[in-house]
Amino acid sequence: MIEVSNITKSLPDGRKLLDGISFTVRKGEFVGILGASGAGKTLTLRCLNGLLKPDSGSVVVEDQQGSKWDLCTIGKTRLRDLRRRIGIIFQGYHLVQRLTALDNVLLGRLGQISTIRSLFYGFTDKEREEALTALEKVKIGNLANPRVNRLSGGEMQRVAIARAIFQSPGVLLADEPLSNLDPSNAKIIMRMIQPLAQEMPVIGIFHQPEMTAKYCTRVIAIKKGRIIYDGDPRLTTHQLVEIYGEELRQIENAPVLTADATGEINYVNPEDHERNFY
Amino acid sequence: MNEISIKPVRLSLLRRYGRVLLPLAGLSILAQGAAWVCGARWDLFFHGIADSMRFLVHILIPEWDAFTDMLQPALTSVFIALVGTVIGTVFSLVFALLAASNIAPAWLRQATRFLLGLERALPEIIILLFLVAAFGLGPFAGVLALAIGSIGMLGKLIADAIEELDPVSIDAIAAIGASRVQVILFGVIQPIIPSIVSFALFRFEYGIRLSVYLGAVGAGGIGLELYRSFTMLDYGRAATALIVTLILVFLSEWVSNFLRKKIKGGRFQ
Repeated sequence: MIEVSNITKSLPDGRKLLDGISFTVRKGEFVGILGASGAGKTLTLRCLNGLLKPDSGSVVVEDQQGSKWDLCTIGKTRLRDLRRRIGIIFQGYHLVQRLTALDNVLLGRLGQISTIRSLFYGFTDKEREEALTALEKVKIGNLANPRVNRLSGGEMQRVAIARAIFQSPGVLLADEPLSNLDPSNAKIIMRMIQPLAQEMPVIGIFHQPEMTAKYCTRVIAIKKGRIIYDGDPRLTTHQLVEIYGEELRQIENAPVLTADATGEINYVNPEDHERNFY
Repeated sequence: MNEISIKPVRLSLLRRYGRVLLPLAGLSILAQGAAWVCGARWDLFFHGIADSMRFLVHILIPEWDAFTDMLQPALTSVFIALVGTVIGTVFSLVFALLAASNIAPAWLRQATRFLLGLERALPEIIILLFLVAAFGLGPFAGVLALAIGSIGMLGKLIADAIEELDPVSIDAIAAIGASRVQVILFGVIQPIIPSIVSFALFRFEYGIRLSVYLGAVGAGGIGLELYRSFTMLDYGRAATALIVTLILVFLSEWVSNFLRKKIKGGRFQ
């Protein structure tokens, strides 16, 4: 469980970037955070694993023993301990480009081994096996040995997911895991992240309302540092316009793509649907 | 109207010639004065040319027997450059970390950058003279001089490479729960290894040329051989040393270029 209450962050000139963000995510939930660029999505996510300290408010997570800690007030060593419990998937190209896919997955446990051991790549055979299993889980077990910069964007993103799986965290965060991916790769990645929510709370930032509608259990929309929507992932056109602004209406009447219950993608006329995901 | 307009035209013509002639006259007066102060004279110049003609005839005939004598000093020069560059690269990496804004606090960055700048301003030959006073003549002083001499340049280049790193990539390692040292190892050093090797190769190539003239001052190697045979007027031997030096410089340049191109081409990326 991860509990965010009332976090704020301001610029030195007093402009508020985050203005009282609160939400709680439990095991079994897959939360998609939506919002226009600059709304404060990434800032919120960075607060969730202590990369950024909010000016006020608290972010409470549980450690392995079940005791709760506020990321905003604990010391550096404790924060490092807790980060091992918080997996984060960045965009694929933030992997260490000069290491193999397997080594990148192994880095997921970097926080759990001593510095001296990591200097000599001291991962045990058992850990290597587990890392390979994680890669097989995302169906790229055959790509364990090439360096990650030889992989495609979709494959890199799968390595990032494998790293998070290998880290076996208590909470999983994802910062725009679908950007730079084509639609079918995006779908594959979403299908891989979705089942992880059964074991831990998953929170991801997305720019694709049609994807969050299909795979997430809950959507939080952020606008100008405030939560303006928190609930059912299927949003109406009206709500989307609220989130992204009036410009969205201009493409409203164009034929749009939407996914039906079976996951097939169809062309639809937006006027036929009460709900549509442009 | 016409009468008035003629005069300015003449004046501007004069000014146009003056613009070239006056500085030229000033410059030649300055040069004459300087030559008189330092004792440079035309007759000495022509004398020297005549002398060097005789000397050129000698130097065109290398003494091939001395070739094998040159191999060991040449190897010494290469090793001075190699060991000096390797030690220098290791130390400059430490300085680079302290001089990078995304790792070190601002005051430390400023202080380190100032020190690196100071080091760059200091010619290697002065460093060597200090080291010879401390450690005595020989390759060891040369190695240290090259190592210290490379810190200024390599430290700055590597620090700049670190500052250009994507901050999110560094965060990505920190977010796993890695310690500070682990973040630096995997988030900072790991991605810039190709750049470090490339800079070090470039510095090695420069170090070879440097080790030749540092050799003459006291570091030993081919430079000493070159200097000794010239001062002993053994021009045949000097010619051989010169040829070996040229081969050394060309070879190191070629190897360095070849490897750096390979690195750039992604072979080691």
